[in-house]
Amino acid sequence: MDDKKLEEILSKDHAPEIDVNARKRAVNLAMSEFETQKQKKNKNNSLNNFQGVSFLARLIGISNSKRGNETMEQKTKTKFIYGGMATAMAVVLVGGLSLTQLQDTVHRYDAPVPAGSAVTSAPGVNVKNSPTYIPVREEQLSPAYIEAVEEQNENNLDHAIREGASSIPVPIQTPARVDADAEGAKVNPLSDWTRQAGHVEREMKAKPKAKADKRLAPSEKDAAPLKKWSRESGNSPAPETVGSSASLGEFKEEIASTKKNMVPMAQEARTPFGAVPHGRFASEMVSLDDAVTMATAYQDEGRDKFEDFEVNTFKSVAAEPVSTFSSDVDTASYSFIRRQLNSGVLPQKDAVRIEEMVNYFNYDYPVPQSRAEPFKPTVTITDSPWAEGRKLMHIGIKGYQLEKAELRSNIVFLLDVSGSMNAPDKLPLVKNSMKMLLSSLHPDDTVSIVTYAGSTGVVLEPTKASQHRKIMNAMNNLRAGGGTAGAAGIKLAYDMAEQNFDEHSVNRVILATDGDFNVGITNREELQDFVERKRDKGIFLSVLGFGQGNYNDHMMQTLAQNGNGVAAYIDNLNEARKVLVQEATSSLFPIAKDVKFQIEFNPTAVAEYRLIGYETRHLNREDFNNDKIDAGDMGAGHTVTAIYEFTPVGSEAVSVDALRYTTNLKKKGVAPSDEYAFLKIRYKLPMESKSKLITRAITAQDNVDKCPALAKCQLPVLSVDTNFATAVAAFGQILKGGQYTGDFSYDDVIALARKGKGDDQFGYRAEFINMVRLAKTHAR
Amino acid sequence: MPETPEAENKDLISRAVRGDADAFECLVNDYYEVMFKMAYKWCANQRDAEDITQEACIKLARGISGYKGSSKFTSWLYRLVINTAKDWYKSQNRHPDGAELIDTFAAEDTKPDEKIYAAQVWEQVHKLPEAEKESLLLVMGQGLSHKEAAKISGVKESTISWRIHEARKKLQAIFGKEQNYG
Repeated sequence: MDDKKLEEILSKDHAPEIDVNARKRAVNLAMSEFETQKQKKNKNNSLNNFQGVSFLARLIGISNSKRGNETMEQKTKTKFIYGGMATAMAVVLVGGLSLTQLQDTVHRYDAPVPAGSAVTSAPGVNVKNSPTYIPVREEQLSPAYIEAVEEQNENNLDHAIREGASSIPVPIQTPARVDADAEGAKVNPLSDWTRQAGHVEREMKAKPKAKADKRLAPSEKDAAPLKKWSRESGNSPAPETVGSSASLGEFKEEIASTKKNMVPMAQEARTPFGAVPHGRFASEMVSLDDAVTMATAYQDEGRDKFEDFEVNTFKSVAAEPVSTFSSDVDTASYSFIRRQLNSGVLPQKDAVRIEEMVNYFNYDYPVPQSRAEPFKPTVTITDSPWAEGRKLMHIGIKGYQLEKAELRSNIVFLLDVSGSMNAPDKLPLVKNSMKMLLSSLHPDDTVSIVTYAGSTGVVLEPTKASQHRKIMNAMNNLRAGGGTAGAAGIKLAYDMAEQNFDEHSVNRVILATDGDFNVGITNREELQDFVERKRDKGIFLSVLGFGQGNYNDHMMQTLAQNGNGVAAYIDNLNEARKVLVQEATSSLFPIAKDVKFQIEFNPTAVAEYRLIGYETRHLNREDFNNDKIDAGDMGAGHTVTAIYEFTPVGSEAVSVDALRYTTNLKKKGVAPSDEYAFLKIRYKLPMESKSKLITRAITAQDNVDKCPALAKCQLPVLSVDTNFATAVAAFGQILKGGQYTGDFSYDDVIALARKGKGDDQFGYRAEFINMVRLAKTHAR
Repeated sequence: MPETPEAENKDLISRAVRGDADAFECLVNDYYEVMFKMAYKWCANQRDAEDITQEACIKLARGISGYKGSSKFTSWLYRLVINTAKDWYKSQNRHPDGAELIDTFAAEDTKPDEKIYAAQVWEQVHKLPEAEKESLLLVMGQGLSHKEAAKISGVKESTISWRIHEARKKLQAIFGKEQNYG
């Protein structure tokens, strides 16, 4: 970046409009302060520099939402007290853990150390940074861990106070420790504590993990004197583990297993602390788990669920000449990866679905003329940029674009309002996304809203989209809380859609959730059956995913794929606009369903091939002609791109050895053919059940380097898009481990993507380039 | 404010310094925007910026009598706002994170390419060490000379140059040398 650019960006004001009321309030406060100063000066006739808030200023009302001086002063005080309490709380927590463990081991060790004495018998140990009680194993109570929990809790409490929480978490005093900080703490009723636990837990989740490293560094130092002390004291019942610094990974497992042990105890009735401490802590376990994840800063530890799959490998054409897969227009994987990269970690490999990354972008393939033939294939063959002697085959289709006027829809929003949705990037973002979608609907379209949480309910009966205010009101009244009975919600939503079924419009249920279905039918297969039956009645299902940390990608994919819908992941308002406004027609209106691809390679021209991505969309060869087998759908204007990497016969890059007994082709002296492969696409029109077939031969003529006709007209556009798609595919492969991309680096991806940037109307490709940069930084 | 000639306000300022309440009211009203914009650049969050500006206004009332006219009034204000912002964040025990930024940029519907890039640059600026960010905002953001910035921050001119150099080095490492957006 050059100076000019930086200066231009930094000097440009992007401040929002000034709030007149805020200004008025500030001016009034300043005026009263000014008057006070003047009076004081007159009185003393000396420059008495009074520090503090003037009396007059106090008299001017400050609305609660604004944090004025005086409230801030109070806050500083309370923070101090509660900060201490948070420390105590963390200790209670950890002490509770140890006690459970202790119970298991009491019979094994004759003289377990009681909690209190452990502390008092440790002179010179900094109590705040040390575990107060080391009953069994040191790693279980790593000081680093305690430090992290303490700090986290302190932050949470700060936050709770700032947010004006009505009840403040008050830790229960512990027999293990009563230190100076905690003396001010009152013992609150248990209910307050447990109610707050949920809040703290959510706060924990929202915290980025990246900071953990920093936190660990200083506390590791604190650990050293402590170890020494433990060794010297000789009180520790398990000396062989003391002093050995167990890895954090093991430590986490330890906690996880403790957690498992403790869960059943959560069922016990809550009793006062002294008697049975476990029940109370059970509600804290989740946050503990998260805190540990945070402490380790290990990216795979989130509870986001992804389907496990293997990367496609090279297949010998002689052995397996036919490749079959279903189309996929989802984009969820790309947005999720973007979010991971933005938060400072590389995504887990199973989260990377290359086809979804490639299909996130819109490519300028030729569009068919009529709705009867919804798309036509475009094929381009280029040299593989990452492997010499290999080629890439791009197969692209773009769906027929519908006119806005001919579209009507009957939409049922099914919104998850369970407790887990209570985060800024969840429910509020859902609301905003829905509002955006409303703006792209026709006034005559019908909208209804069903929510699900602990109980399921209809929030908005079917209403015309023109009644904007009514719909908005219903949206604005949504609040998050309770468990997640997803299945009941889906049933109710389908009932609503059926009630209002309209043959001439698209009937669709749009599910917005973080993917947590923990009450009711949680069985994926059962839900899938249900959605499939409804699909046959003509009601589609789309899934919008929100949030991170507990994102159940697997469930969402299953639902959307079986409900003939789109699964998108929405991580910010920009993405919401892309999916719901710019691409509203493609997301809402299907032009073809069950789109399947089958490519038969010619063994005389192609030695081996590999499909990049589409691992989760694999179909069996015989499924292609079976109309009963479900496959992906396409919306109006959707583009689908599939990329094969293949090695022509005779190239030195062949990786699979030829078969000894079936090499008769060569022996017969058949010359390598011009025809690489034969492409077949099957699809059904939205309201039909019989599939149609499109076929096309893929020949050397499709090679961009060799076709003069193509070079003249379409090459400029095509090569731009081809370059970009290739760059995206390369990026995806590198993120997945780069099994086949050789030493193709992030920089090569950037260079290639730059070549393929085109005019990039909405800045998505530029954003991609920046994502690659981020990945490059994180990968170091 | 930058667009108001300093000369026009000279009279107003000197009256306010002497304790004229009407003049002071005019002054605060006039300069609220400058202060707010500066605060917003610092924290990238409307509510925080409002709180900080309010606090700075009160401090202005307390301190205006101490303004001797030896430096430009706006420079003096910058210093006030920046110090207030630093104290404020310290008392809140957190840092500006630029989390709202992308939304602000998203709202402006011009050249999305540039927009995303600008948002990303800002985000990185907020991650810089406080002193570097301060110098960068004064020099690049407000168009001040290194000398003026040095006066505001109360450090040597060479320190400012060093900080800017450091900040640019960090940004360069992230965004690369050649950048052909737009």
